[in-house]
Amino acid sequence: MNIKRKKVLDTTFTEIGLIVISFIIFSPLLLALTMSLQTPESVFSYPPKFFPQSFHWENYTQAFRAIPFARLLLNSALVATFITLGKVVTGVLAGYAFANFKFFGRSYIFAFLFATLFLPAETVMIVPLFMVMKEFGWINTYWALIIPFTASATNAFLFRQHFRTIPSELEDAAKIDGAGPMKFFLTILLPLSKSMIGGVVIINFVYSWNMYLWPMIVSMEDKMKTVQVGVKMLISGEGTNNWGIIMAGTLIAVLPTVVVFLALQNVFVKSLVRSGVKG
Amino acid sequence: MAKTKVQFWHAMSGWRIDLLNSMAEDFMELHPDIEVEVQYTGSYNDTLNKLIAGIKAGTPPNVVQVYEIGTRSMIDGQIAVPMQDMIDQDPDFDIATFMPQVLNYYRIDGKLYSMPFNSSNAILFYNKTMFEEAGLNPDKPPRNYEELKQACAALTEKDKNGNIVTSGITWNLHSWFFEQMLAMQDAPLVNNNNGRAAPPTEALLDNEAGMKFMTLWNELTEKDYMINTKKEDWTGARKLFLSQKVGMLITSTSDVVAMMDGAEENNFEVGAAFLPTPKDSPKGGAIIGGGSLWLIDGNPDEETKAAWEFVKFMAEAPQQIKWHEGTGYFPVRKDAVEQLLFEGYYTEYPDHLVALMQLLFSKQDYNTNGAIMGVFPEFRNTLENNVEKMINGQLTPEEVLEKTAETTDDLLEEYNELYE
Amino acid sequence: MKGKGINFRKILPFLLLIPTLFVIITFIYIPAADSFEMSFNRENKFGTRTIFVGTENYGKIFTDPEYLSIFGFTAVYVGLTVFITVFLSFFLALLLNKNVPGSYVYRALIFIPYAVSPAIAGTLWTFMLDPVAGHVNYIITALFGQQIAWLTTEPYAFIALLAATVWKMLPFDIVFYIAGLQSVPDDLLESATLDGAGAFTKIWKIKFPLVSPITFYLVIMNIIAAMFRSFATIDVMTGGGPGGYTTTMMYKVYLDAFSYQKMGIASAESVVMFIMMAIVTVIYFIYGQKNVYYR
Repeated sequence: MNIKRKKVLDTTFTEIGLIVISFIIFSPLLLALTMSLQTPESVFSYPPKFFPQSFHWENYTQAFRAIPFARLLLNSALVATFITLGKVVTGVLAGYAFANFKFFGRSYIFAFLFATLFLPAETVMIVPLFMVMKEFGWINTYWALIIPFTASATNAFLFRQHFRTIPSELEDAAKIDGAGPMKFFLTILLPLSKSMIGGVVIINFVYSWNMYLWPMIVSMEDKMKTVQVGVKMLISGEGTNNWGIIMAGTLIAVLPTVVVFLALQNVFVKSLVRSGVKG
Repeated sequence: MAKTKVQFWHAMSGWRIDLLNSMAEDFMELHPDIEVEVQYTGSYNDTLNKLIAGIKAGTPPNVVQVYEIGTRSMIDGQIAVPMQDMIDQDPDFDIATFMPQVLNYYRIDGKLYSMPFNSSNAILFYNKTMFEEAGLNPDKPPRNYEELKQACAALTEKDKNGNIVTSGITWNLHSWFFEQMLAMQDAPLVNNNNGRAAPPTEALLDNEAGMKFMTLWNELTEKDYMINTKKEDWTGARKLFLSQKVGMLITSTSDVVAMMDGAEENNFEVGAAFLPTPKDSPKGGAIIGGGSLWLIDGNPDEETKAAWEFVKFMAEAPQQIKWHEGTGYFPVRKDAVEQLLFEGYYTEYPDHLVALMQLLFSKQDYNTNGAIMGVFPEFRNTLENNVEKMINGQLTPEEVLEKTAETTDDLLEEYNELYE
Repeated sequence: MKGKGINFRKILPFLLLIPTLFVIITFIYIPAADSFEMSFNRENKFGTRTIFVGTENYGKIFTDPEYLSIFGFTAVYVGLTVFITVFLSFFLALLLNKNVPGSYVYRALIFIPYAVSPAIAGTLWTFMLDPVAGHVNYIITALFGQQIAWLTTEPYAFIALLAATVWKMLPFDIVFYIAGLQSVPDDLLESATLDGAGAFTKIWKIKFPLVSPITFYLVIMNIIAAMFRSFATIDVMTGGGPGGYTTTMMYKVYLDAFSYQKMGIASAESVVMFIMMAIVTVIYFIYGQKNVYYR
């Protein structure tokens, strides 16, 4: 009885805590939603509004007319998907190499890889990278938007960490069974890492989806731009802005990442836990 | 038949993208052998960075819009074809129809380097309704600093906790207003005739005119007669005015229609006035802000010629009128202004008339033509940083000017070393 | 067929690393070498004039008092951001992991800040923090009668920036902590409960240590994110102000590279950042590995 009571209290407090916290965390986006449904002039009225009170859905249709959203969304989807794919594949392979093998120069190569994270690739190196793209003839192509980002130290590092938590008994057992290292990798290690892979997919997808500076520089036509560049097209530095349309555009741009997150939620959150050793 | 391709990069966002696209289409109908690729390339900064990447990689655009403060860098970089070169070769082009007040910014030693495109001034908007309620005459906006302070005093209201309920005035924390106020008092920003006779080597902004404005800024802040925004926050300043938190706003002339619409939506009457100047200062004029179109070198000759046709087209009266009506930037030509006048445009938009008159009344000399220097962006940030410190009580107005001048001198020295 | 051949096993790790190494050498290290060379020059915007200045750029960095305060601010900003984010996200991951009804929705709501671009995040926070017409002050004025000029005064600008940065980084950590907590074996927790362990003990003596490899990863990743990726938020929210107060090293690089187009000094500043991060990381790895518990 006591334990049951405790559990109910625990659940209630957790529930309340989560409601309050998620509301606070979500509130800036609630603001975006409210603004996206207002007329541009009433955006600045006082007192400020917390919840949508008017429903000007035409902001959304106007956003679609203002920029070629459909094409931009497609571009972003393509780019983000392939970058994520590349990063995950190169990441698990590299992580496996660092975690499960001892080889000559291992820590040096890892340091070499990790050091790439200390380079401000998004700023100082944009022009040199642009020149490299010129050499390859990739300016204004999907190649330029995708290939330079298909590997990252972040993922290699993460998978290295994760693979090191898998007990070595598993690998020993596989060896005894006659399975080679790649078979072990594909049939045992990867399936055990589904949660991690789910998390990594989501993080990398969002990161690629939000890139702005590079697509801006390397795309030479509207049809090669990504959605963040598109949304920026709605905002003017010194001119007057139609915040209703801008927020509508922003939310349209955010939506796909939320969808991907929801789809993957069930992958990286499993309610059943399997202890690895009993595989 | 292969079309000549002209790549046009610009920084005009929002609804202006469509406007430019339709203007380009009109051009292409008249010139079926030319294809203009219009691209919005981000903010002025983004556009400039993209231009740099393009130039370094050997793939520059043909026409690009650059902000006015990039003029010296563009000239010194020698990457552009001066507009004057094209004008000299083209007998059809009559420079006399253009308004000298606008051309002068982009003209050095009689040579026009770029084509003015989106030009604006700073102007004072005021809330006539709030004026009346505060006991001020809605038909007499403040003309000098004294009147300005008095108006602010009347408009400022605080609650029992000392928090501001309404305040007198705002302008966003932007170096542009400082530069405008110097020019309104016929004072220079830098030496060598404001950088127009030769590249500047020294900052002169710590002069009397600068002191007067900076002192005003400080005083208004200390007395809560003005609300300061964060750096370059145009939206924030507009917001304060439209939500009637302040009675006056200094902003760009391209905001006229937005202010008219916003005032209507928020139920107050709005008026426009010239920028106030200190009573005893010499009378100068307003500087042209905004951007211009540059022809970039390094492209095949037919492309440059086609690009010139496009630039000429955009500078013609019908396009200028369309652009002005759609954006609020000044039309660059006298005949465009005449047509608008005769159509009764200025009766419908009296605030546009105020903006135009301020420009026409401006004395034309080196100070009002605007300063030209290669380190403008960093100078602006330095000034703005120091002003922020002043607002937070860390610097006096004098120190702001001193420090900014000192830093600017160093920056100019560094810059000039590149060209020795 | 791949067999148990010793030769294959020996070269396999190198084969596995080829894709990664190709990408980073071609697209990261080669441009970086270019930038490194640039750090010894001074160049005009368009690259049409370059002069060699040797180590002058580096000298400027270390003797400029403004730059020294940038160092200091960066350290405080990064330190606080990481500390708050890691602990707050662990706490939230614990809550979200309990799978109370509605967790699916809560997780989605809490995730969204990560999905928003840094610029838009900055914009939304800026609206909310507007001193006169914003939501935060509306509440604060109602409760305390105070009007805070959030983004234009010290120390509020820092607090606002800290809040926005943590807000943006939380979901990243939460995602990984949830994934990590998923693999904490149930039986371990059950036996601990049977042994009479309370919630606090279970959290700090079992769960936290077991996810320490994740924590190890997250701390260094958060440091890197706060160091290198937060400039867009700073740009939108405070412009590095007021008066340079919230300028971090990375924001200074951004200004020098993108607003002033002074590639020489921007490159030098990034080299300095690189070296500092390398030192921090080496220390981190040596010291941190001792505290990480791998099974």
